[in-house]
Amino acid sequence: MSGIPLDKVDLEARKRAAKILHEKFRKILEDILSGKAPKLEIPKRTLANTIFDKERGILVLGEQKLEREFLDMGEARRFMQTLLMASIIYQALIENEYPTIRDLYYRGKHTIIYKDPSGRTRQENTWDEQAESDSVIRDIEVFTGLLREDMLILSKEKGKVVGNLKIRSGGDVIDLSKMGHGAYSIESTPDLIDFIDWDAEFVLVVEKDAVFQQLHRVGFWRKYKAILITGAGQPDRATRRFVRRLNEELKLPVYILTDSDPYGFYIYSVYKVGSIQLSYESERLATPSAKFLGVSMTDIFGWGRKKPYLTETERRNYIIKATDADIKRAKELMKYSWFRSPGWQRELKIFLEKKAKLEIEALASKGLKFLAFKYIPEKIETGDWIE
Amino acid sequence: MDKVPATKSAKQTSSKEKSNKEKFREISVAEFFAKNKELAGFANPTRALYQTVRELVENSLDATDTHLILPEIVIRIVNRPELSGSNGSEQRFTVIVEDNGIGVPPTVMANAFGRVLFSSKYVIRQTRGMYGLGVKAAVLYGQATAGQPLKVVSATKGSSYSYMKELFIDMKKNEPRIVSEGQWRRRGSWHGTRVAITLMGDWRRAKNRILEYIKRTAIIAPYAEIIFETPDGEIYYFPRLTRKLPRPPREAKPHPHGIDLEHFKIIIKESKAKTLLELLVQEFQSVGEKTARAFLKKIGVNPNLNPKKLLRKENEELLRSIVDEMKKFEGFKPPRSDYLSPLGEDLIKLGLKRLFEPEWVEAVTRPPRAFEGNPFIVEIGMAYGGKIPPMNEPLLLRYANKIPLLYEEKEDISWKVLSSINWKLYLINFPAPLVVLVHIASTKVPYKGVGKESISEIPELEQEIKNGIQEVARRLRAYISRKMKEAETLRRITTLAKYIPEIARSLAILSKPPEKWSLPSPDEEKLIMDKMAELIATRVPTARGSDGKTQTIKAIRSIVESARTE
Repeated sequence: MSGIPLDKVDLEARKRAAKILHEKFRKILEDILSGKAPKLEIPKRTLANTIFDKERGILVLGEQKLEREFLDMGEARRFMQTLLMASIIYQALIENEYPTIRDLYYRGKHTIIYKDPSGRTRQENTWDEQAESDSVIRDIEVFTGLLREDMLILSKEKGKVVGNLKIRSGGDVIDLSKMGHGAYSIESTPDLIDFIDWDAEFVLVVEKDAVFQQLHRVGFWRKYKAILITGAGQPDRATRRFVRRLNEELKLPVYILTDSDPYGFYIYSVYKVGSIQLSYESERLATPSAKFLGVSMTDIFGWGRKKPYLTETERRNYIIKATDADIKRAKELMKYSWFRSPGWQRELKIFLEKKAKLEIEALASKGLKFLAFKYIPEKIETGDWIE
Repeated sequence: MDKVPATKSAKQTSSKEKSNKEKFREISVAEFFAKNKELAGFANPTRALYQTVRELVENSLDATDTHLILPEIVIRIVNRPELSGSNGSEQRFTVIVEDNGIGVPPTVMANAFGRVLFSSKYVIRQTRGMYGLGVKAAVLYGQATAGQPLKVVSATKGSSYSYMKELFIDMKKNEPRIVSEGQWRRRGSWHGTRVAITLMGDWRRAKNRILEYIKRTAIIAPYAEIIFETPDGEIYYFPRLTRKLPRPPREAKPHPHGIDLEHFKIIIKESKAKTLLELLVQEFQSVGEKTARAFLKKIGVNPNLNPKKLLRKENEELLRSIVDEMKKFEGFKPPRSDYLSPLGEDLIKLGLKRLFEPEWVEAVTRPPRAFEGNPFIVEIGMAYGGKIPPMNEPLLLRYANKIPLLYEEKEDISWKVLSSINWKLYLINFPAPLVVLVHIASTKVPYKGVGKESISEIPELEQEIKNGIQEVARRLRAYISRKMKEAETLRRITTLAKYIPEIARSLAILSKPPEKWSLPSPDEEKLIMDKMAELIATRVPTARGSDGKTQTIKAIRSIVESARTE
């Protein structure tokens, strides 16, 4: 790839990331050369070390660190994997490559063949599953403080966006209002995007790609001056970072629309506060002011003076019985500190009481126009959301 | 069985036993044996073939090592189809065993093989054959099943002639009946005995037992050269491994604790002692004059009593009470054990090494102990690992007075003790490659039956076997524990060392500054690898001593050098 003229933004990012990697890992080598037992101090990525920072409204990593010592029998393999992965990323940065996380998995996957003391030949893979190498990448992120986007590592693009927004990416200007029936794929390195021009009042994030397409075709974003985004299920980091930048830099309010079940609720919380697994990047990925627009339990069943959006008959037709896994997940959510607000406790209580869930498609079935032109605008207008 | 010879001297037997004896008076000892073959181990053709080999081999060993001659024993079993019936299972074989022993003098030759009798000499000695009956039982069995006479050729050490006799045992008269005999000038310097017995046997069934018997004999007598030729034409050769012979057993007088009424009567009859005091001092071991007086005083018997008077019928009760008191009296010193013949730790280890090629072998000769006035020594050998296959339980090799015991294993005291050992305490988890050898040397081995295949549960014996097994097992535990530690160290080293090349390569790349980037050279990687190997060697605790580090670095290097990636 070297020799191809690169974007200046891109080159700067590479230089910075390479320097940090070099500095951090040179220390390991120095330890070895001076006879010290080498170790990596890595913040722990566990639920126990995940803290909900109430003031900032995001999940952050706690103070706990693990020491990954080469001489520790239980850690030696992971130590080797971390160095191996770091060297591959480092070399890719220097050689101006854009590896995907899958590329990194393949590049680092070797078979170590060795003879044990009894002379028997044995084999071991540096890693087996991609989950293993992905996890090593996350370790390097927390160890270096560099996100993988900073290290120019790509992943499969999942997020999509349309709306009155012009951006510059890789030297091209793209008008996100002229995507036809399609949409712009949110790139793996959203920090390399420049926002040039926009005319929008809010951001609507929908959990499901199908609902995104329906709202797009029915002209929802044009009518309400919205930037319409989907993460297609559990959002990737690029989508979350993109949403965050829209909120932070363009000062647009963010509304989120998911299924009415514990998984939908959790997806909302990932946009808002971050995920447990990636809490170290919440500072850059989370959008603490994001609002849960629906579909809420009270939308289905009503609450006090609030009337339900569904009639008795519609409820009978659209509601699905909750599974044991749903119930278990809801109980877990009730315990998370970021679900402790009265609004969420009420939602979860109703869910556990009714043992019923609803997919957004059900509202579209009631009528796409109902969803696009009544339900969503009415909820935004009346402030009927949960935070 | 002890009662059988007494029929010949029934005069002195008690009235209580008389009715029993009457029945036997009509038949000779030889006849008795012929009718009770199973008692001597001749229950069927399989067992008979095995027993014949065993009796002859044991006689040969007694005629050699006991007299400090390094044994050379040739065993041949020859198929005799011309004597066999049409029925395949009724085959006849001739068992020929030749040794280089002291030989049998021509004057006693006929009786030694042709008359069933007990030794009249009441001294005791640790020998392989206990009753002197075995070979004669084989002869009786042979003449009954094959109709062939025993053939013996023998030359004693000093004699200028070799003598030959062919004989049957006259069962009614219990006398040898010689069918042919001869003598010739001895050729060379050979001395020893060659015995051939023809009998009905089942080689196919007996083969494994006989082989096992000979192998186990080779284990316990590594100083012997043994050649075995089978009817199938195979030859098994066990060369001599050492010229070191065990100390030969010596004859000894009986200990007062080991005496019984019949035995005591015979001693009185044959002793020249004039008084009871003299008798005790002269005819028993561990009895001095002082002890004898103290004993007689305690039981209130006149020391000057003529012992022959005790044989009178009216003194029967007195005699009985003297014997009972003798057994109980605690003033006698324990029986002497210095005339027992243990094998010694070296010979046991040598024998086990040859047959099993283990990675570890140890043996112990326990201090002498006694039961009922009989001294005994327990010896334990253990072999572990190497070419021994893992088994679900330890392989037990039982020996009594250097005789391998093959049958009735589960009834034996050693089996009982072995089964009670908790091997986990000794870091052994079955299946495991473990062989345990138990040798009991005694002037009286307490067999369960005349077949001499299993030993009774005598508490003193049981305790000694247990102590011995535990003693050797503790050494085995130390060995296994050291081995486990070494294996653990190696495992740790391997776990770390295999990653060295991968880590060194990665660090070499990462250590190149981005502004002056180039691929690292092999030398740079090599330097990191060496440093890491040293680091492991320094930091991983080794089981070995000061040379541990050098050893470890060597081990790491070889792992690192063998490691490659694909």
